[in-house]
Amino acid sequence: MTVAARSLVELAARLLGPDDREAVLGDWAEAGQGPWRGLVEILGLAIRRETTLWNNWRPWLAAFGMAWPCTLLLMGVSFSIGCTYQRLAGPTACAKCSPTGQEESLLLLCHVVLLITWSWIVGFVVGSVSRRTLWVSGVLCLIPCVYCLSLFHETSLSRLCLLLFLPPAILGVRHSLRITPIKPGAAIVLAAAVTVLMFFAWRSRALWVPNWALMAPVGYMVLLAWRPARQVAGRGA
Amino acid sequence: MLGEFEYLLITAAAGLGDDAYGASIRDEIEAATGRKCSVGALYTTMDRLEKKGLLKTWMGEATPERGGRAKRMVRVTPKGVQAARAFYDVIMSVSRGVSWVAN
Repeated sequence: MTVAARSLVELAARLLGPDDREAVLGDWAEAGQGPWRGLVEILGLAIRRETTLWNNWRPWLAAFGMAWPCTLLLMGVSFSIGCTYQRLAGPTACAKCSPTGQEESLLLLCHVVLLITWSWIVGFVVGSVSRRTLWVSGVLCLIPCVYCLSLFHETSLSRLCLLLFLPPAILGVRHSLRITPIKPGAAIVLAAAVTVLMFFAWRSRALWVPNWALMAPVGYMVLLAWRPARQVAGRGA
Repeated sequence: MLGEFEYLLITAAAGLGDDAYGASIRDEIEAATGRKCSVGALYTTMDRLEKKGLLKTWMGEATPERGGRAKRMVRVTPKGVQAARAFYDVIMSVSRGVSWVAN
């Protein structure tokens, strides 16, 4: 067997978890099978493993219920923050983002804080709900980003303003990948702060109605904080 | 009740005793059925049976003929023995009196 063929099989085996990889590559070596058969077998197992994960509701909720719709909402908020900042900082106005594009400095600050906390919470919840299908949630987040970036024709604004939500969201995902869960007290304080800021923005007519949907991940984060630590550490789907 | 492949896996593992692991179970199943047994079917069924408490698996020692890789060892639990016996009894019972069974 060539080194290239062996490397290809071992590369495919990286799609599996460490124990699966060890056992399957050992079985393959022991059986003395050819690389083609080994490759097909390993890919077959990887596909079955991935399919099994999707028999659970968690990956669906994380990918299609949170990552994808929240990306669209957060991109809207990122864009409106960019517009408002530009209007307050310079003479060129971008009038496309009413109501949140028309606010003053205090409301802009409120929206910046909201964007950071919403994004972090969405990232945290998506990573916590379904860790092993995180790549699908990531792809579903990237598709609308790439699509909107390709349609972006606002010459006075940088395209990157659409992606302001990404850094805190990535930090949220990173936090969710740690075994230590979020503390209930911290979750409640965060949820209460978001709720107060949202009411403030709403009363000032500076919040889109669909943005209330971002309360769902906030509520889920509070629920996650109350789960026993053993359950959080063992979540697999 | 167990499925056909689940019964085959539990029976092969029980027959192999302390030598029951992925590759040996697969060889047993292939020899008994005369059909290819895919790694995907084998390992996902093992996982399912372990979740149901019918099998216990753990990572064993690495051997040179396996390229220094560890085995996934398998042991049938008492609950697994009970489930396999129930499956066997059903097959025996439903097969009684049919033309291809020598009564």
